[in-house]
Amino acid sequence: MSSTTQTPEGAEGGCDVPPNKSETPENEDSTFYECNICLDTAKDAVVSMCGHLFCWPCLHQWLETRPNRKLCPVCKAGIDKDKVIPIYGRGSTDKTDPREKLPPRPPGQRAEPENNGGAFPGFGLGDGGFQMSFGIGAFPFGIFASAFNFNDGRPAPAAPGSPHHTEEQFLSKVFLWVAVLFMFWLLIA
Amino acid sequence: MASMEKRLQKELTALMKDPPTGVKVDAESIYKNLSEWIVDLDGAPGTLYAGESLQLLFKFGSRYPFDSPQVMFVGPNIPVHPHVYSNGHICLSILTEDWSPALSVQAVCLSIVSMLSSCTEKKRPPDNAFYIKTCSKNPKKTRWWYHDDNV
Repeated sequence: MSSTTQTPEGAEGGCDVPPNKSETPENEDSTFYECNICLDTAKDAVVSMCGHLFCWPCLHQWLETRPNRKLCPVCKAGIDKDKVIPIYGRGSTDKTDPREKLPPRPPGQRAEPENNGGAFPGFGLGDGGFQMSFGIGAFPFGIFASAFNFNDGRPAPAAPGSPHHTEEQFLSKVFLWVAVLFMFWLLIA
Repeated sequence: MASMEKRLQKELTALMKDPPTGVKVDAESIYKNLSEWIVDLDGAPGTLYAGESLQLLFKFGSRYPFDSPQVMFVGPNIPVHPHVYSNGHICLSILTEDWSPALSVQAVCLSIVSMLSSCTEKKRPPDNAFYIKTCSKNPKKTRWWYHDDNV
């Protein structure tokens, strides 16, 4: 840099620039890909939308430090886990997203328990999940539906023509009339 | 802890190799204990503090650089400035809420030199007498109120 500024006409000639650049190639290259937090060559590198390079473990720790004010350490732009891009160099063999790898966790933080559906059948996202979401989705009706139909131990209706069947028909009519009278009484009262 | 020392070592090497004008690290004092640095500052030429030599004390916690360092003026010459209390405490937002891990000792030193340089009248903060009687030893424990952007 110094020699080119001293002799500007020399900078135009191709012979002067390459030796000048090769003076400190290690230094230039190594600082260019340094993490802005640990000042080391970025490991599990991610880049923010504003273009700043970090190790994912470093950036993750910074985001945890101020969970309600997530700003880029360099330029104070907004930054978040899903707003950074992982970088994969050609030489890297590890193709996993660095954001999936959490750094050594801070004390007190614990992972969600593994959900294999064994502990709470019907509460997980597995095969029992439908009843759960139905009950919440159509709240009052869902409750009744599951209360009347879920685990229902009623026997199948009797075969038509049998004495059991006529008895059931009679009972059914009686209850229908009771219901009609009840509705009538409700209207009168 | 290890990451803090690694980063401080890198900052120290860079500062020794290529120090900005008017900033000098007292390396002898640091080799014993990397978590406390004394940095000598020179007042920038052409400002009210030209020719003054000042000393800053940096104390780094184990969470550095995620936590800001404790920074205060020490030594015989505490600069007279509207944001510097006579006990050396500095009211500067990047030392607390505006701290970022991308800042460094060098960046803090330059910010402080710049803060001094833009001063137009040498005076203590208006609440100096009260503050130095009531404050904690650690300036980071003060609830700073950053309201004056002029200096």
